[in-house]
Amino acid sequence: MVASMKKRKAGLLALCCLVSLGLGGELVQAESAAPSYNYSYWGDNVAAPSAYEATTLITGISSGAGDFKNPQDIQVTSDKQIYLLDTGNNRFVVLDQNYKSVRTLDSFLLKGKADHFNNPQGIFVTDQKEIYVADTGNKRIVHFDSRFNAVGVIESPKSELLQANFDFQPVRVAVDKANRIYVMSAGVFDGFMEFGADGAFKSFMGANRVHVDPVDYFWKSISTQAQREQMVMYTPTEFTNLDMNDEGFLYATNGDEYGDPIKKLNAQGADILRREGYYKPSGDIMYSTLSGGAPRLVDIDVGDSEMYSVLDAKRGRVFTYNGDGYLMFILGGLGNRLGEFNTPAAIEHNGDDILVLDQTLGEITVFQTTDYGRTLNDAVRSYYRGDEEQAYQLFSKVVNMNANMEYAYAGIGKAHLRKGEYKEAVQYFKRSMDRTNYSKAFLLYRKEVLREHFSTIMTVVIALVIIWQIWRMYRKMRARKKVVLH
Amino acid sequence: MNREALHTPLYVIVHPFNGYWDLKYECSQKKSLILSFGILFMLILTNILGSQYSGFLVNLNNPKDLNSLLETAYVLVPVLFWCVANWSLTTLMDGEGKFVEIFITTCFALIPIVLINFPWIWVSNIITAQESSFYYFFKNFAVIWSGLLLFVGIMTVHQFSPSKTIGTILLTVVAMAFMAFLALLFFSLIQQIVEFISTITQEIVLRG
Repeated sequence: MVASMKKRKAGLLALCCLVSLGLGGELVQAESAAPSYNYSYWGDNVAAPSAYEATTLITGISSGAGDFKNPQDIQVTSDKQIYLLDTGNNRFVVLDQNYKSVRTLDSFLLKGKADHFNNPQGIFVTDQKEIYVADTGNKRIVHFDSRFNAVGVIESPKSELLQANFDFQPVRVAVDKANRIYVMSAGVFDGFMEFGADGAFKSFMGANRVHVDPVDYFWKSISTQAQREQMVMYTPTEFTNLDMNDEGFLYATNGDEYGDPIKKLNAQGADILRREGYYKPSGDIMYSTLSGGAPRLVDIDVGDSEMYSVLDAKRGRVFTYNGDGYLMFILGGLGNRLGEFNTPAAIEHNGDDILVLDQTLGEITVFQTTDYGRTLNDAVRSYYRGDEEQAYQLFSKVVNMNANMEYAYAGIGKAHLRKGEYKEAVQYFKRSMDRTNYSKAFLLYRKEVLREHFSTIMTVVIALVIIWQIWRMYRKMRARKKVVLH
Repeated sequence: MNREALHTPLYVIVHPFNGYWDLKYECSQKKSLILSFGILFMLILTNILGSQYSGFLVNLNNPKDLNSLLETAYVLVPVLFWCVANWSLTTLMDGEGKFVEIFITTCFALIPIVLINFPWIWVSNIITAQESSFYYFFKNFAVIWSGLLLFVGIMTVHQFSPSKTIGTILLTVVAMAFMAFLALLFFSLIQQIVEFISTITQEIVLRG
């Protein structure tokens, strides 16, 4: 209230100053942002301290497994073992905590016969350390138990849902707690293929929406059947990758430029990703068409507390969002220095570390948190757990390190709101541009102020009414006098 | 004089038929013209203050993009376009209004927008999200009121029938679009000429 009064006063007194205030014109902004950046509420890129730093480079040589050739996928287990799918060498390699190779598997016994992979593209390791490999070249999925024995295989399914000429080319695979297997198959537009624990094909799920260009639609609607067959078909975009969180929800990325490139699918295939942030989670929001256009998300990795990271192959950047869809930090880039990639293919988290796999260079870059990144991660975790007091402290620390982190102000505001400090809450919500919570806090704050100053306000109102009445009586009397005089 | 002068605009907005008649035939044109400029100035001021000081909940402008000169242009250009287009058309359509009269009519029709929006700049600072529907209601109400005033004003100033007024207003909007198109064309051509000359100069300077 006081602030707005001040504002009002200033506004009325210094009109000229105000009017000239706006004459500044636009600020000049550089095309490329600071080395580490984030997006503000207004969609501008603003400088941010780096949340992660590249510390280690894992190559085939350094791990002791021999050169990696065109590796496509990695998977990290909860005990920090890294499973790397070395596609070009048709094998997978298991690395321990020190990034040393402990096991390499390139041939296995299947139904009594020695067998090999052929251009495998995807690997998934369950909590029980059972391994599923999408053996793309052999059109099958091979299932290993925790001792690396091949125990099952899923081959091209037969079903009336599938067309006669259906080609089964599994490229990525994920398995939930009930051992249902979700397969991303190349050339399939109907979504993910879901298999039961026994390997029987069940159905498709989570197909992307079709985007129809109105102009194309018009031409198609007035053309003949023969012409129509010549035209491009409207097909939904394919998924580009998938991951499974510990609650069994699928997180998926797709190449959809118009819709939502990131999705969280429930068991029915409905998209339930929260998009409460300043803008939809979709990687970079400011880009020029000259530098390649929209981001191409190729992998997604879900961490704890619903945080997830996506990998943009076009610019080699990793974007990490929290469960509500607020952008937390951005790291990586294309280049030749440590912490930059050539052709990033996969991303995984290992505890708090982030691993990015580069397929051409055949190496994994390990990113570790900086003080800022650690604080931000912990703040988001505390808030997710509902520990508002700790979240408040951590978010305060975050804004001390990065005043541009608008999202953190909302965290502080919520703590103030919970404590009944409405005035502070209002201020912090305003800084975080959180209109919904601002309104809630403001309502309470206004009530508080009105209650506090109720007597003053009522006195003033009553006094005004009385003065007005007296003035009216005075005018009437004068008018009467005039009449009398005349 | 002051009291009288302020009385007219307030009379016009609540009694548009009589008010506009008086404005055309009774009032001094010089006084009305001064008032019109005053109204335009107030409108510009309201818009500038509104985009800077409206309450957080209803102010969706990026404070970095606030430009008072542009805000001024957003008021002046449409008003001028409207007056020019309307005058050009009604001259051909047997309208009785002179350009000055059209301008005065248009400016007087904008009074409700100033009167309603100005207090709401400050009131919007003490409302919550639920109450913001009142804010938007009053904003729309002001626009509708102004629209009606403009309609009556144009009808009176040209001595048109209602149906002819509607037709004229629609045609005026089309004419405004034409003018905007021509202005854009003109500016882009000028820009290209300037660019051409500057390129040639540069070339000559660099070669010589």
